[in-house]
Amino acid sequence: MEVLLCGGGIAAIVVLVIFFYLLNTARKKVPAAGAIGKKNYAPLYISLADKPMSILQGMNRLKAEVQRTETAGDKWRWIPMLIFFAGIGLALIDGLLILLGYFSLVFSAGGLILWIAAIVMARSIRRSDSLDFSPRYEGLKHILYTLRDDLRPGSTFLGHLDLTGSMLPTKVARSAKDTQNRTTNYYRDEWLALKAKLYDGNVIRISAVQKSKKRASYTKRSRISGKYKMKPEKFKGTMQDLKVRIVVNPEMYQIGSSSTLSAGQNIGKYTVTALSTEGGIINLAASSPFEEVEHENILGVIQSAYSLLQRKAA
Amino acid sequence: MSKKIIPFVVAIIMSCLVMAVAAVFAFGGLVAAEKFGSSSAWSQPYNTAESMKVIDLTGDGQDELFIQNTSNVSVFDGAGNILWNFDYSTPKTTLGDVNNDGVEDIIVYHSGAGSAVDVISKGQAQTIAKSLSIGTPARNAVIRFPSGPQIVLGDSSGALLSVGTNGQTTWQNVFSSEEIRGMDDALVGGQMHVAVASHDGTVAVIDEQGNVIWQIRQEQLRRMRAFDLNGDGNSEVITGGEYGAFFIYSAVDGSVLFNQSLGQAVSEVRTVELNGDPSSREIVVGGKEGGVWAFSFDGVTAHQLWTGSLSDKVTEISGLDINEDGKEEAVLGDDLGKVAIFTEDGTRNNLPSHSSGITRIDIGKLGGERYVVIADYNQVEVTKVNFSSIPGFKFVPLLVGLIVSAVMLVIAAILASIPPKPELKVSFQDKSRESLEAERRMLKESIADVERLRKSGEMTGESYLARLKRLRADLAENETAFKTAGFQIRVETFKCPNCGGTLELGMDKCEYCGQVTLS
Repeated sequence: MEVLLCGGGIAAIVVLVIFFYLLNTARKKVPAAGAIGKKNYAPLYISLADKPMSILQGMNRLKAEVQRTETAGDKWRWIPMLIFFAGIGLALIDGLLILLGYFSLVFSAGGLILWIAAIVMARSIRRSDSLDFSPRYEGLKHILYTLRDDLRPGSTFLGHLDLTGSMLPTKVARSAKDTQNRTTNYYRDEWLALKAKLYDGNVIRISAVQKSKKRASYTKRSRISGKYKMKPEKFKGTMQDLKVRIVVNPEMYQIGSSSTLSAGQNIGKYTVTALSTEGGIINLAASSPFEEVEHENILGVIQSAYSLLQRKAA
Repeated sequence: MSKKIIPFVVAIIMSCLVMAVAAVFAFGGLVAAEKFGSSSAWSQPYNTAESMKVIDLTGDGQDELFIQNTSNVSVFDGAGNILWNFDYSTPKTTLGDVNNDGVEDIIVYHSGAGSAVDVISKGQAQTIAKSLSIGTPARNAVIRFPSGPQIVLGDSSGALLSVGTNGQTTWQNVFSSEEIRGMDDALVGGQMHVAVASHDGTVAVIDEQGNVIWQIRQEQLRRMRAFDLNGDGNSEVITGGEYGAFFIYSAVDGSVLFNQSLGQAVSEVRTVELNGDPSSREIVVGGKEGGVWAFSFDGVTAHQLWTGSLSDKVTEISGLDINEDGKEEAVLGDDLGKVAIFTEDGTRNNLPSHSSGITRIDIGKLGGERYVVIADYNQVEVTKVNFSSIPGFKFVPLLVGLIVSAVMLVIAAILASIPPKPELKVSFQDKSRESLEAERRMLKESIADVERLRKSGEMTGESYLARLKRLRADLAENETAFKTAGFQIRVETFKCPNCGGTLELGMDKCEYCGQVTLS
């Protein structure tokens, strides 16, 4: 009897686990708009070496393909659940036969195979799910669209958009230990690098870097009880750096007075931290304490850097 | 192979496997929906039956139910009414026609006024011998020796005594010092003998003069029975030991034909025609711990057919062809009151349990109907056992296999209709020479930037290497794009043979994995 109860209990747990797995597959989680908490985005890396419209079309096409895969999967989300219930139905036939005094496991065996098939299908459907695209994806599209007419004819944008994640182990720039021997990791994520030769002969380089700080998890011994406690990792903050470098075409421009733009000046969410105009090159560095900066702010910094240029008389 | 085809290929392979397994089950006769049921015809209180038999004791052509316990001998008619009953002190009974009237008589060996033998014929009891020099009754049997029937008595001290049908003692034998545990008629060369066994493990075959033909000694005994298993005119003597020894001896000379250790005391041994093949007899053995074994004897030796189990000590075994397929099913009872039917392949089917342990089971016709008579510690119950099955159920695996295969093919079709998820590492690249050269310059600038960051301490360790690896990989892709477009390019990168990371030409050690390289 104990063996029967144990076996029945384990079987019931397995059936419940399968049921909730398939239920979660059927009911796709859609985060509410404006939901609180950190959101995960699709880990995406794009190398840029093309004309602006080609890049924009490619980006639109990529998003559409991801959505098409997801939509195709969404259509069949309830099928694994239905197959699960079909399996239950088969097992119930065996139950009915047993109630009638006959012993049979044939239908249950069929039901079990159906459940395995349902799990395989649910896994495949889940694999077709994708995370939302980061707002930076759309932001880059806006930046490229804005600068499209300023590009020298026939030339391309160069660079990358790295949305694989700002705090990956491969993005630890350095680590430091405090007096309590706790490790803090400093992350450097250059999520946007862009270079373009402009119509007026200038060359512009934009580099957006997200810097983050996170204390690694550690084990601490309580002074009172003597027990060891595991402290989880702790996010300590993040900031955005933006560097704009313009190599000026001396035949077209001269660099004007920097009195209109100086360190400490706010441009949107950014604050200018350094400005140099030496050697015919404008180097502007700005930083923002915000985790997310919109494309308007980046374009604003570029515009401010460009405002230092004065067109030479013809 | 196209990604759309793969789900179909997998589904078809799986479907074939499922259908093959289903076919094995369907055509191998491994699946059947069969059940045995029972309904009670009548029951009468009767405690602790020691002996029971459905047999015609009145000569009317209709069987009656004979039953005996430690103090009484009774006979019921087919409807459950008592025809006659007699009280005795410690009776042991056997059946046989000793007065040659063509009707079986009940021979009672009891210890009322000294040891005595009564013959009950058609309800009339007659003492044929008394004050016999033998002790407390243990076993008795009517043996039809060539010279005529004798009633052989065995007591609890191992003594044997034979009396003729007139009550005269014919021979006496002090066989052993312990209780006689088994007594059965045994054929030797077509001549009837008596096989006897005592608790101390002595087994012997004795002729009509009381001479021991052969005698052997084995481990302590619980059961002994003799059958001519292969109908060759020589019986086989089957014994079950106190410690699990199961032996089949030849009744001719006591040679061992088969033996096996069963791991628990043997509590009952019976023959049952399980496979319906008359050229062999099957032996069903019950153990003290509930073990059940079936053996088949082919005339030379035996082999095990299957094993099963009951919940407690197997107290009785009987054979009945319930489903009328020409093969007997073994009906077993245990000391907890459970009754089960074991089929030819050892499948167990439970019948309703009794409230106390089963003591005897017999099968026979009562009032024209075939019944299973089950006696427990409190009562004797006559039950009708029936069999039913769902016709065509053996093909159900094929049906289930078809359903499962159809579902798998539908799943394959659905999965094939879902387009593959696009790669999330993409490159938008203009293939013009100017663009490729610009990209190359940009990548070199970026590599220089990373080097500068490392020198300034802003970037160290893994992050530096990861970024460098990615930029160099992009540089390698750029070189490939150059070559694909047919432009001349001076190759500056190569792949590490160990980790596959892209390195600058000329490096003699991989920065990512430490592999020494020659480039």
